[in-house]
Amino acid sequence: MTDTPLLQVSDYRVGFRTPRGLARAVDGVSFTLHAGKTLGIVGESGSGKSVLNRGIMGLAKSAHQIESGSVLFNGAELVNQDRQALWGDEISMIFQDPMTSLNPVMKVGKQVTEPLRLHLNLSKSDATERVVELFTAVGIPSPRERLKQYPHELSGGMRQRVMIAIALAAEPELLIADEPTTALDVTVQKFILDLLMRLQADRGMAMTLITHDLGVAGGRTDEILVMYGGRVMEHAETDDLFSNMRHPYTEALLASIPRLDHAKHARLNPIPGSPPDIIEPPAGCRFAPRCRYAQDRCTTELPELDHDGNHGYSCFYPVGSDANAEALATNQQRGHTATGLQIRAKETV
Amino acid sequence: MVLLLVGVSMLTFAAMSLLGDPLFNILGPIAGDTENPQNIALQDEAKAQYHLDKPLPERYVRWAGDFITGDFGVQFSTDGQPPVLNLVKERLPRTLQLMVIAQILALAIAIPWGVFAASRANKASDKVSTFVAFGLVSLPNFALAVILFYIFAIKLDWLPDTYEATDPFWGFTHGHRLIQLILPAFTLALPIAAVFQRLLRTDLITTLQEDFILMARSKGVSKRRVLFGHALRPSMFSVLTLFGINAATLIGGSLVVEIYFRIPGIGTAIVEAVLREDFPVVLALVMVITLAFVLLNFLVDLLYTVLDPRVRS
Repeated sequence: MTDTPLLQVSDYRVGFRTPRGLARAVDGVSFTLHAGKTLGIVGESGSGKSVLNRGIMGLAKSAHQIESGSVLFNGAELVNQDRQALWGDEISMIFQDPMTSLNPVMKVGKQVTEPLRLHLNLSKSDATERVVELFTAVGIPSPRERLKQYPHELSGGMRQRVMIAIALAAEPELLIADEPTTALDVTVQKFILDLLMRLQADRGMAMTLITHDLGVAGGRTDEILVMYGGRVMEHAETDDLFSNMRHPYTEALLASIPRLDHAKHARLNPIPGSPPDIIEPPAGCRFAPRCRYAQDRCTTELPELDHDGNHGYSCFYPVGSDANAEALATNQQRGHTATGLQIRAKETV
Repeated sequence: MVLLLVGVSMLTFAAMSLLGDPLFNILGPIAGDTENPQNIALQDEAKAQYHLDKPLPERYVRWAGDFITGDFGVQFSTDGQPPVLNLVKERLPRTLQLMVIAQILALAIAIPWGVFAASRANKASDKVSTFVAFGLVSLPNFALAVILFYIFAIKLDWLPDTYEATDPFWGFTHGHRLIQLILPAFTLALPIAAVFQRLLRTDLITTLQEDFILMARSKGVSKRRVLFGHALRPSMFSVLTLFGINAATLIGGSLVVEIYFRIPGIGTAIVEAVLREDFPVVLALVMVITLAFVLLNFLVDLLYTVLDPRVRS
């Protein structure tokens, strides 16, 4: 590992100009990613996790999009620069839906050779050989026959493998995996995730794994960034996050995942409410309206990311603290939080 | 396909038989004479010769049988009544040549134009191109013919103002005929290109929002290569469909153009024949046009499978 991190993001913001005003999709995010490491970015729909990554890559920028802050890739500033030269070559992306992300009228072989010929200047036959190697590496059986097939002739899992092969073709330094398994069957999900981990380790790539599922990120990442309403709620090493979670949102997110050891037909624990309005966000903490610990301070003051060693969280009443227990007791006593969210007297999480 | 041909031929046959009396074409004024026994005998003789005394269905079946074997009948209204086939052989290649050139030209103009407009959707240059396209679509053919003729043949004098039917047919070695066809072909092609461009632009804008376009961009493929290499092919369906259907319109359009540029082709032939109520000629020409239309659309169906592999399975 070198001293300069591969990716250093500081106070990065992405906004979209809309008729109603500026939508702050990513609102001051900072993190560092070293070569060979995996960062999980977790959050529900609309938390800004995808926008953050597409923003970093600089892909699909609309005319209404503005960005600020700093993104250093190998020490070079990316913000407000044209990043096309990096695409496919140094930064690659795996998209969420393998059904729609491959060109339906182009043979898959050609779709994989394209970045090879573009970035590595391989001849047609050399590129084809490379694709066969890549297909073997991502676990596509009889790769030579697959080359001549069209995407519609392949299953979802196979298509996602093709996508991974495309993303890895030119041996990028950073791989952005944007919900790579969300559209797939659970059995295929595990295979694809394990495959990504293995390939990443083999190649010493850095990776950001975007997911709405804490369970997916756990065990497969070095660090996790929990996002909500465009802001970082919690940022910690993966083990630390699971053993010692501090942010109420992380806690609620984990509680919402159904578990095998729950009683049969146990009720799911959804997070009440819906993601915040990012054009006119709530004055205080973004999560306050849905948080069962919310106090008056949370509705007026925006908590900054606090660091407890390597563990960062942005909350005045972090889970596990005395202040948190007091806040919960107060809310249970009055039957609702400072934002008016109803609370049952005894609630188990 | 065959059903369409039969249907069109029946309708045309019936319409022509109901509207006119072929005897006038064959015999001239004496066809109307009901008193002079000599003229009546001539009428009967002609009727017998051309089976005009037979009932309509029988005449249709006779005609259809002849048509399939390549006997298109004779031209009633021309002295000596030469076979219709001669006329078709003489006229068809000229129209065909004009149409093929016009269609190729239309595509050659529309594809880069559509790609250009779609890649700059809603910007100033796209709005100008939309304005030009609607201008070309709404301008009648004959007006465009006059404008182009005036500018390029008279004012600038770059292009010939006459069409020599006697020039060698495939002018690649001589070049002369092709140069003469430039103005008529552009007159036909420009409005079609404008329509194609509109369709292609719309389809391309839709395609460009697809995930696989983003994916292609993320591979590092340049914008230009994404447009032509990834987006164009799946966006060609509307244009291709219209390309087939448009063939019929083009024959109608080529009529005006043929008259204006004095090209003795199918269009002018069919007008002359209709005016003279020259029954076998109209019938034969309608059939040739229908046949061309059907064949072209069959070809278009085949092209769909080339464009989209999903149609194959």
